Amino acid sequence: MTFSRREFLKAGLAGSLAVGTAGLLDACGTGNTIKAFTTSTAGKPRMGGQLRAGLTGGSTADTLSPLNPITNVDFSRINNLYEPLVGLTPGALPVNVLAEELTSNAKATEWTVRVKQGITFHNGRTLTADDVIYTFQQILNPKAPGAAAAGLASIDAKGMTKLDAYTVRIPCSTPFATLHQALAIPGYSDIIPVGFNPAAPAGTGPFKVKSFSPGTQSTFVRYDGYWQSGLPYLDEIVITDYADQTSQVNSLLAGQVDAVNLLSEDVISEVQGESKNVLLSPGGGWNPFTMRVDTGTFSDVRIRQAMRLVVDRQQMLDLVFGGFGTLGNDVFGIWAPEYDHSLPQRHQDIDQAKSLLKAAGAEGLHVTLVTSDIAQGTVLAAQVFAQRASAAGISVSVDDVTVNEFYGTNYLKWQFAQDYWFYNFYLPQVSLATLPTASFNETHWDNSRYDSLYAQAIATTDTSLRTELAHEMQQIEYNEGGYIIPFFPPVIDGFGTNVGGLVPSKIGLSLNAYDFKGVWLS
Amino acid sequence: MTTATEAPERVGPPSKAPRPHPIRDLVIKRSLIGILTLVLVSILVFVATQTLPGNAASAVLQNTATPARLHALEVQLGLNRPAVEQYWTWLTGVLHGNFGTSLANGQPVGTLVGGRILNSLVLVVLAGAIGTLIGVGLGVLAAARRDSVFDRILSVASLAVTALPEFVVAVVLVIFFAAVVVHWFPAVSVFVPGTAPWSNPKELVLPVATLVIVVVPYVFRMMRASMIDALESDYVQMARLKGVPKWRQLFVHALPNAIAPTIQVIGLTFLYLAGGVVVVEYMFNYPGLGQALVSAVSDRDIPQIQAIVLVLAAFYIAVNILTDVIALAVSPRRRLPRS
Repeated sequence: MTFSRREFLKAGLAGSLAVGTAGLLDACGTGNTIKAFTTSTAGKPRMGGQLRAGLTGGSTADTLSPLNPITNVDFSRINNLYEPLVGLTPGALPVNVLAEELTSNAKATEWTVRVKQGITFHNGRTLTADDVIYTFQQILNPKAPGAAAAGLASIDAKGMTKLDAYTVRIPCSTPFATLHQALAIPGYSDIIPVGFNPAAPAGTGPFKVKSFSPGTQSTFVRYDGYWQSGLPYLDEIVITDYADQTSQVNSLLAGQVDAVNLLSEDVISEVQGESKNVLLSPGGGWNPFTMRVDTGTFSDVRIRQAMRLVVDRQQMLDLVFGGFGTLGNDVFGIWAPEYDHSLPQRHQDIDQAKSLLKAAGAEGLHVTLVTSDIAQGTVLAAQVFAQRASAAGISVSVDDVTVNEFYGTNYLKWQFAQDYWFYNFYLPQVSLATLPTASFNETHWDNSRYDSLYAQAIATTDTSLRTELAHEMQQIEYNEGGYIIPFFPPVIDGFGTNVGGLVPSKIGLSLNAYDFKGVWLS
Repeated sequence: MTTATEAPERVGPPSKAPRPHPIRDLVIKRSLIGILTLVLVSILVFVATQTLPGNAASAVLQNTATPARLHALEVQLGLNRPAVEQYWTWLTGVLHGNFGTSLANGQPVGTLVGGRILNSLVLVVLAGAIGTLIGVGLGVLAAARRDSVFDRILSVASLAVTALPEFVVAVVLVIFFAAVVVHWFPAVSVFVPGTAPWSNPKELVLPVATLVIVVVPYVFRMMRASMIDALESDYVQMARLKGVPKWRQLFVHALPNAIAPTIQVIGLTFLYLAGGVVVVEYMFNYPGLGQALVSAVSDRDIPQIQAIVLVLAAFYIAVNILTDVIALAVSPRRRLPRS
C-alpha cells in the first residue's frame, strides 16, 4: 500500500479532529446535547433590570425600519419593537402572535385574518384591520418594495378589504397555501400602524425606542401597555454594535455586557472557562455553494453531482464549526414539516465523483469558486471544499472578494459561489430561490416538472398532499439541483450567569431570534 | 564665513520692501497649498469610491437586493445620476457648509462625524501629550546617565516595544487589566452616544495606554540621541568646565538645542496617531473616526467617507504646518532673515 505524505497528514488531521469532536461531545453527555451549554443559574423570573447585549453583524446602515431589515443587529431591534401576525416558536413552527385567526379558502386563493383585540401600538393607537392593510401595502409598494415583497408577491395588496374593525380579507393573485409560513419568518412582515413614521417608530412589541444611533447603540425601554400580561420582565435593553468577536468576548468576560451573539466555536472554551454560559442552537439557516445550472460547466448534471460527492460533510462541519450544527443533504428547509428526512444522507464518494466526471468528459476540471466573508465560516468552507475537490482531480481556485463586490453587479450571476440564508419553510424558500420567477434564483434553476409540482403544492390546503408533492420536488433537487448544502450551521451565543430565559432555537437567528421579552436578570 | 567681496552688499541701505517674515510666509504659503491638496484629495477619494465594486445601494441591501429594490434605492439616493454631477452637488454643498446626509442611514454627516472627531481627537491629544512628556522625560534622563543600567534597560525595552504592533499591546493590556487577570478597566470603550469622552474617563484608560506605549519609544529614542549630541557639544563642555550645575547643563544649555529634531518626531507621532487610532478604535470598539471610516467604506457611504478623509487630511496638513512653525520658532538661526 502506498501512502503519500500528504495523504498521511490529511488522514492524521481528520483523525485528530474526529477524536477532538468526540471528546467534546462525550464531555457534554451524548450526541447532540445542547443542554450542557445552557445551564442558566439565574433562578426564577424577576422583574426589572437592564440587559446589555453586545452584538456583531451590524453597521452604520443599521435601521429600525421593519420594512427593510438588513443587518443581523437590525433583527435584534426589530424583533423587540414590532410583532408579526404569525411568529415562530423556538422549534421553528408557526404560532399566532397578533393574529387571532388566519384561515384560507379551499383553493388557497383568499385568506382571512382577524387580529386580536385590545392590542395597542407604542403611540397609543389600537391595532385594527386598517393597520394590517396599510402594512401589506407598504411591503408590496411597487415603487419601494420591502424586504418581504419577494416572498409575498402573490398577495393582491390593492384588493384587500376590511370586513370589520379587526378582520381583513387578503386575496391572492395566484394560490398561496403557505401564506402563514411565509409570514412567520422573523423580522420581515411586522405590523406597523397607519401612517408609520420611521423617525418615531411605533410597534406593538414589548419594548419601545428610547434612543438609537445606527452602527453604535440603541436603548429600548419596557412598553407598559404590552398586551401579554406579566411581560416583558426587563425594564430596559441596551444593544451595542461591536465590530468584531475579540472586543465582544472581552466585553462579556469583563462583565460589560450580559449577552453576545454569533460566536465562533473556537471561543467556546474561553467563554466557559471564565464561567460564562454558551447558548448553542441548531440553526436552520443554510450557507450553500451555488452552481449555475443554465450555462457553462455546471449545466451538465453529472458534473454537479460530482461536485456534491467530493464534499466530506462531517469534516467540513468539524473544521468550520467544530462539529456543531447539522449535516446537510443538498436540500434546504431542514425544520419544515415538508422536509424529506428519508432521502439517504449523501456521503463523500471520490470514486463515483471521478467516474461521473469521466462520463461527462470533464476530467481535470478547473473551476473558480467565488467566496466572501458574507457569513460565519463561508471563506473557510470554500477553502475546505477546494482542498477536498482536489482528491477527485478537480482544481478549484478560490477567489475571495469583498462583501461589496460579492453583492455588487455580479450577484445572482456568479457561475460558482456561495450565499447565506436565514431559516425559511420549504415552499416559501422555493418561491424565493428555485423558481424561474424567483427573485434570488442564484442557481438559475428552471425545471418544468419541479415548477408544476410547486404550482400544485401551493394550491392545496391538504397538508399531507402538499408534503408528498414537496418530497418529490426535493427528490429532484437531491438528484439534479444546483445547490451544495453541506451543513446547516449552528448558532453560538454567549451570556452571563445572571441572565435567565434564553433558550436554544431552531430559527437560526441568535439568542432565540433576539426575543428578549421572556428574558430576566437575577 | 563671508568673503570680502560680499561685504558691500550687506552694509548697503536697508530695503524698502517689508521685512521678510519666514513664519508668516510659511503659514500662508503652506495653507494655500493645503487647501489645494484637500480639493485634490476629495477628487481622488470620489474617483476611488466610483471604481470600487458595488455602490451604497447594493451595500445596504446586500443579499436582499432584487433589481426592483436596488433600483428604488438608487433613485432615492441619487446614485443613478452621472458621477460628475454627484461630485458637483457634494462640492457645492460643502462650500455652503453642508456635508450632505449619510447614504447608509440618512442622518446628516455633520452630526455623525462631529461627535466622532471629538472622540478621536481626545484619544490622539491625550496619547500624544502623555507620550511626548514620558518620551522626552525618559530621553533626557537616559542621555544624562548614558550607558548606565537605567539607560541600557530603557534602550532595550524601547527597541522591544517598537517591534510590537498596536493590536498586540492592546490584547496584552486587556488580558492583564480588563478581562482575565484583574478587572480594573473596561475591556471595550462603549460610550452612551452623545456623551463626551471625558465623562467616561475609565473607558479612555486602556486605549490611551495602548497608544502611549506604542509612541513613547520613538520620542524617547530621538530625544536621547539628540540630547547626547547636545551634551557632547562644545558649549555644554564649556558650561561643565565653568562648574554650571548639572540640572542647568541639562535643561538650560542642552535641552533647548536638542528639542528641535525631537519636535519633528513629535509631529510625526501625532500624524502616526491619527492613523494608528484606527486599529486601537477597532480593538476597543471605541466610537471614533477610524471605526467610522472602516464602516463607511464597507457601506460605500461616499459623503461620510469624504468628510472623514478630509478631516484626517486637514489634520495632517495642519500638524505638518504646526511642526514646521514650532521647529522654526525654536531655531533662531533658521528663523532670522538671511540677505
